[in-house]
Amino acid sequence: MKTIKVSFEVNSEPVSLQVKPYETLLETLRERLDLIGAKEACGLGACGACTVMVDGIPLRSCLVLTPEVNGASITTIEGLGKNGNLHPLQESFMEKGAVQCGFCTSGMIMTAKALLDRNKKPTKKEVVKTMSSNICRCTGYKKIVEAVEGAASKR
Amino acid sequence: MILPKFDYKKAEDIAQAIALYEGARGRACYLAGGTDLVPMVKLRLSTPKAMIDLKGIEQLNTISRKGNSFIVGPNITLFELKCHDTVKDYFPALYESLDATSCETLQMRGTIGGNLLQNTRCLLYNKSLEWRTARGFCYKMGGATCNVVPNVAACFSNYCSDNALSLLSLGASLKLAGPEGERKIKLEKLFSRDGRNPFTLKPGEILTEIHIPLKRSTGAYEKLRVRNAIDYPLLGVAVSLKEGKGRVCVGGIGPAPLVYDLKDVAGAGLKDVAQQARQEAKPVANATLSAGYRKKMVQVLTERAVKRALKEGK
Repeated sequence: MKTIKVSFEVNSEPVSLQVKPYETLLETLRERLDLIGAKEACGLGACGACTVMVDGIPLRSCLVLTPEVNGASITTIEGLGKNGNLHPLQESFMEKGAVQCGFCTSGMIMTAKALLDRNKKPTKKEVVKTMSSNICRCTGYKKIVEAVEGAASKR
Repeated sequence: MILPKFDYKKAEDIAQAIALYEGARGRACYLAGGTDLVPMVKLRLSTPKAMIDLKGIEQLNTISRKGNSFIVGPNITLFELKCHDTVKDYFPALYESLDATSCETLQMRGTIGGNLLQNTRCLLYNKSLEWRTARGFCYKMGGATCNVVPNVAACFSNYCSDNALSLLSLGASLKLAGPEGERKIKLEKLFSRDGRNPFTLKPGEILTEIHIPLKRSTGAYEKLRVRNAIDYPLLGVAVSLKEGKGRVCVGGIGPAPLVYDLKDVAGAGLKDVAQQARQEAKPVANATLSAGYRKKMVQVLTERAVKRALKEGK
């Protein structure tokens, strides 16, 4: 199978790669670019642990083929903090104790970031609805919802 | 989960997509959002030689009005369509079914065309290759039996599109393009009623337009599922009412939706339709809730949806 040349931006840095046509974005990020923040859990698009932002839209990177994102701009959890400081959402997740094992956290934060980017002051109902895109198997969702609300109120 | 080997091609227009399909000698899949197709390929339920990406085709990415039709390009994502003003104002049943589909993140990736053309599902079908090999292949995998109901000739896999039901209730039709040319069909004619191959699409055909009659309606969508996020419908009922007449569509049970006309909305008509739907729905033990419960809920959700649609109309 012939490889395909793809160019895109990851966390504001241009990347150009030769990838297999059947390679998922998650594999490319984790195995070629060492961006291991996005996690593989179900691998079937149900859980949301692999969520990254592609052109401002949160996507399950395990369902996206890398050739599909040619020319796109991708943000992963590694790209949120600026100049050594954590993103307000990351701070808020720590503050409210919304992390237990941490496997779902990067996906949760990326989904929450996409929500806050398009809706600066979401209601609790909206937060719950959006965050129900992602599955957490440890803490329950109360603290996660509180953390997103906390980050929204600080903006 | 690792994908099997296949080639990736991006089509610039519909003619090129069809040419690419023919070039792969029929062993190709059209790819839009991929939220249904990629998991199928990962589980080896589909093993295409090539994926033909339709997302670059501008013609499939537009929403327009022409005469008395609201025309939706199949590459429009569920989220975009949900946020469209016309959908909210004119087609409340469609708005509710879009909102009930999966979760927000997947709505932003999944397309309306892909949602209509998703394959049917079964508890004993959507499994890994190892699981299915151990259990033995069923009709839908090319085997000679049904693993859910022994000694039957049919496949009972469930068609799980939420939005097909509301589009059916609104009287939508589809425009298709394929190697043999273009054609337009009523949405009802899309379903073959055979779970093995649930659609009447010819090889290589692409859905190019979804036409919805532009008439203000009231409506509702009721969905039975275990979790309010992500789950496929275990039963879905869509109702749309226009000018005192209505249409009820029941889906999520069996390979094709059931469609009923509602002539006498206010009187005994509703009870009759709800009872008829319950009698005709044939759920089997291939979903996470029991068949008996799903059957009972057909009547409950039908009545609930119609009552809610009537209330909204006032």
